[in-house]
Amino acid sequence: MSAESNRREFMKRAGLLALTVPAAATVLDACASVATSAKASTIRVGWAIEPDTMNPLTTYSTEAVEVLQLIYDNLIHTGLDLKPEPGLATSWSYSTDGKSITYQLRKATWHDGKPFTSADAGFTFELIKSKQVSQYAQWVTDLTSAETPDPATLVLHFAKPQAFNPGLAVPIIPQHIWQSMSASQIQKFANSRPVGTGPYRFVNWIKGQSIEISRNETWWGTRPAAQKVTWILFQNEDVMAQSLRTGAVDICPEIPPTIWDGLAGAQNVKAVSMPSFSFHHIGINVSENPKSGGNPLLKDRVIRQALSYAVDRKQLVDVALAGHGIPGSTLLPAGFGEWHLDIPLSQQYNANQGKAKALLDAAGYTLRNGSSVRTSKDGKPLTFRLIAIQSTSVDVAAAQLFRDACAKVGIQLNLTTLDANSLGNTVYNSKAPDWDIFVWGWDTGVYDPDYLLGVPLCNQIGSNNDVYYCNRHYDQLYDEQATELDHATRRALVHQAQQFYYDDAAYIIMWYQDKLQGYRTDTWTGWTEVNGGIILNFTRDNYLKARPV
Amino acid sequence: MVRPAVEGGLGRGPGPDLTLSAQLAVETDADARQTALRRVWRYVLADPLGRVGLVLFVLVVLMAVGGPLFFPFNPAAVASSSAGLLRAPSAAHWLGTDELGRDVFREFLAAAHISLLVGLAATAISMVLGAATGIVAGFYGRWTDTILMRITDFFLVLPQLPLVIALAAFFGQSIGIIILVIGMTGWPTTARIVRSQVLSLRERMFVTRVRSLGTSNLRILRVHILPNVMPLIFANTVLVIGSAILAEATLSFLGLGDPVQVSWGTMLHFAFSSGAIGRAAWWYFVPPGVGIVLVVLAFTLTGHAIDQALNPRLRGSR
Amino acid sequence: MARFRYLARKVAWLAVTLYGVVTFNFLLFHVLPGNPVRLLARSGHLTPQTVADITKVYGLNHPLGEQYLIYLRGLLHGQLGLSYTYREPVGTLLGQYLGNTVLLLAGATVLTIVLGTGVGVVAANLRGSKYDSATVTTSVIGWALPTFWTGLILAFVLGVWLHAFPIFGEQTPNAIYTSSLQRFEDIAAHLFLPTLTLVVVNIAQFVLVARASVIEVLSEDFMTTAIAKGLTPRRILWRHAVRNAMLPIVTSSALLIGLVVAGAIEVETVYSWPGMGLLVYNAVLDRDYPVIEGAFLVFAIVVLLVNFASDLLYQALDPRVREA
Repeated sequence: MSAESNRREFMKRAGLLALTVPAAATVLDACASVATSAKASTIRVGWAIEPDTMNPLTTYSTEAVEVLQLIYDNLIHTGLDLKPEPGLATSWSYSTDGKSITYQLRKATWHDGKPFTSADAGFTFELIKSKQVSQYAQWVTDLTSAETPDPATLVLHFAKPQAFNPGLAVPIIPQHIWQSMSASQIQKFANSRPVGTGPYRFVNWIKGQSIEISRNETWWGTRPAAQKVTWILFQNEDVMAQSLRTGAVDICPEIPPTIWDGLAGAQNVKAVSMPSFSFHHIGINVSENPKSGGNPLLKDRVIRQALSYAVDRKQLVDVALAGHGIPGSTLLPAGFGEWHLDIPLSQQYNANQGKAKALLDAAGYTLRNGSSVRTSKDGKPLTFRLIAIQSTSVDVAAAQLFRDACAKVGIQLNLTTLDANSLGNTVYNSKAPDWDIFVWGWDTGVYDPDYLLGVPLCNQIGSNNDVYYCNRHYDQLYDEQATELDHATRRALVHQAQQFYYDDAAYIIMWYQDKLQGYRTDTWTGWTEVNGGIILNFTRDNYLKARPV
Repeated sequence: MVRPAVEGGLGRGPGPDLTLSAQLAVETDADARQTALRRVWRYVLADPLGRVGLVLFVLVVLMAVGGPLFFPFNPAAVASSSAGLLRAPSAAHWLGTDELGRDVFREFLAAAHISLLVGLAATAISMVLGAATGIVAGFYGRWTDTILMRITDFFLVLPQLPLVIALAAFFGQSIGIIILVIGMTGWPTTARIVRSQVLSLRERMFVTRVRSLGTSNLRILRVHILPNVMPLIFANTVLVIGSAILAEATLSFLGLGDPVQVSWGTMLHFAFSSGAIGRAAWWYFVPPGVGIVLVVLAFTLTGHAIDQALNPRLRGSR
Repeated sequence: MARFRYLARKVAWLAVTLYGVVTFNFLLFHVLPGNPVRLLARSGHLTPQTVADITKVYGLNHPLGEQYLIYLRGLLHGQLGLSYTYREPVGTLLGQYLGNTVLLLAGATVLTIVLGTGVGVVAANLRGSKYDSATVTTSVIGWALPTFWTGLILAFVLGVWLHAFPIFGEQTPNAIYTSSLQRFEDIAAHLFLPTLTLVVVNIAQFVLVARASVIEVLSEDFMTTAIAKGLTPRRILWRHAVRNAMLPIVTSSALLIGLVVAGAIEVETVYSWPGMGLLVYNAVLDRDYPVIEGAFLVFAIVVLLVNFASDLLYQALDPRVREA
């Protein structure tokens, strides 16, 4: 599986550096002497990370997908209630054995005037499958063929039933533009003039500054009110928040905690907080690879559970996130609603240093010879290496708090900070992973349990599986839920899988951070708060449904 | 960042150019050397800028020594709730709290240590490298000189900040790496200055015909060259420290510093990334900058006074 | 003829140094740790197919020696590789940002030289006076200021409290201009604070150099002759002192370029001025090696060329100077 939402971009968003000067909380209002576009016709979004490319097949960045999802249509889109709604497919149905999905397609036109047909849809899926390209490749691993019996029908055949409908994830690209490219050419293709069927057309991208799109008047859906959408890149979130105050932007989808706190009471600005689908976690190297450089003591579940008991997640949220988050527990964040397994506080491996010490004592890891660090029965000290990404300040803070908490139960952690790429390289060195414990995080690729549940699979070692966890029983649970089309049954399986993984404590999930956003109340209205955020989320509908004030 | 200056058109020196081609009276007599030292001391006291520098220097020493003794900083002493973050100065916290709720005053003092440590260590490396290069090049002359100077010129031309940034980015962000990186990019300027001094000393050597007496090179180096170059190197060292501290502050501010061992630059970095400006938390982002300026001034003014004492040209005489 | 030989030798040396910089650049960015394919991944997983494709596209499957030759050949054609972040040619990216940096640096450099020399000359002339002490003191303090911190304080005071100037970017976002004059004004307004920061920080250097070299010249013998000849003090100052003091000033100007280039990184980061400094800074954060490599090369070449020009200028101004 690959990540629709890439990890690195996630971490960048979580811990961006703010280096430019924002205005003080007492600043006066906007003093722009240059007229900006009439606010009522353009939605101006302010953010601090920009896309990497406009090529949907080579991008791994959430920001790129945010822009591209308005230029390209999927077969099925996610609505404001996070449920599927028709996109290029007006309806879809599963075959009786569940291994085929038939999509009825509507009439649509590409931005260059050519008509959209089922050939384009089939081409898209087959291209991704055959060239094994893009973050969407993971959704077509079981695809056997794509049939187009007529220009308005597409049938996808799979080797196994798909609980997650791939039509929700994959943007449909025009065959007449992409068909002659080889895999290398696709990798190099900048797609600087993207052509899709979506509600907006691409206008320009001034790198390092802004991206602009304008309304597609021949779009098949309900005409959106915004004539244009612009994303403005800020080098620092403080200036970004300031621009929200002064009215230079209409909405900011990602505001860091302490800066968001500073927006309270700002005139004409509403600061909103929604549960997200992301978490930050402590990962423990449990690789069985003989070449692994991870400390073998960590393969003992008792130590991992003791580490989990040592830390108080509420304190982490309060200090590192300024209170803007939910203390973490199971693999699916609370934002997933019924999919998230809610373990009662008393049964969680959390905030109980007494229990941690008891567990360790009972297992024979005791303090000998007046040392403050416990040792195993054959004298090995419980000293482990801890790594974190230096530019993610919340992680560095959490790592320090974790280290100090573990010191109190007799486990010594030596903290080193690395840049994001080095950490990725170290952790994902699957041939010989030489690390003990890390602090990192995950976003989810789609609004479906499948993505995150699929991380600790045996077949994901060398891929997404960052802690090299491998357990047959867990794999089995995952397979069952991935092919289970009955909702209630699937939910039960999803809960079982989470409980199982939680007990093994290879992940110590610290928090589910809140999505902190802000928007002006005097320019656009009709923003619906959704789990995961108003924008920069799986649904693009807020862009389409916003109305000028 | 590193601020080189003109040195009579022959090369660059660190620090503001308050001297021209530094030429020392060549004295081999021990008494004469002692007079030079006393001269420096007297001059430092007499010159107003030198006095200020000395006062600042004493303050810096007091801070470095007294800080951890009387106001130790505990990085684990974070706030217990989000209400304790970025609080204004109060009786409990003289300079308020940072974004994790820790005492800024104590953090300031602890950061002083790191900033000074990096500055001094990096300077030591670049002075040793630079002085060695300059002495060898100036003394042995001919091919050695040409080759060494070409290498030095090459490194002089490379833009320093981008190079330092690139090296720090690649090799990691720990205190040790930062020290190495700054030290290894600061030596060319010293090398040039030392070399030109050694060259002029060598000329006078020929005048005194020491060579004709058959003394070995090593002895000449040890007895004649080194003692007369040392004061220059010393004066330069003090000036280079200022540059090194500024370099470290810049690197840390740009996010390339060690996030666990916090220096003043790192404090500024975290101040901005946590939105201290937006919250007008001046207690967090003003003191570290002021600290940097004062420490750099301490070394620069003292260094300038020492330099002036050894160089008669710019002193009060017209 | 001697001049021509001197010039030829200088040019030859320039070529050698350029080649050295190019090679050093290559070595620096290709033998350092880091797996570029992983950098490109930016996610947990790349299909083996994609790994192979990326490796081919970036030419990473060749041995190092061959990569070096490819790199050299590419340079001669003006190609600097592909950015890891944007997957676009580095040259295109640099081109987009370079103009903005030149705009910023040109203004700052000229202002620093002119103002700095002026202030320094006056200070030298009024040596021992309060003006002189004030100038030296201010300059010494100015030298000690970190560029980024000065930028922040200036932006905070002038941009926020007094609300006199914008503190972010090159133009007002989404601006609609009624005339090109208005656009010019908007850019100028955004240019003010970054330029001011660079000038404040670097002028100290210049003032002290100008002052020192004028002082030295003033004490030379030929000045006494000029006074004896009955020239007025003003004439002495400007016609003789300054002209002869120009040499170190010329050299200092060359050095200034190096400084300003470095200062550009700090200032552009603080004010989000979309120039090469900002590009380098972001590229470093992203570990986008090709961009850092390309930018580094451009910086080095600029500094190299400016030094070369200043050497020539120095030689033209002062016939006494010859190769050391």
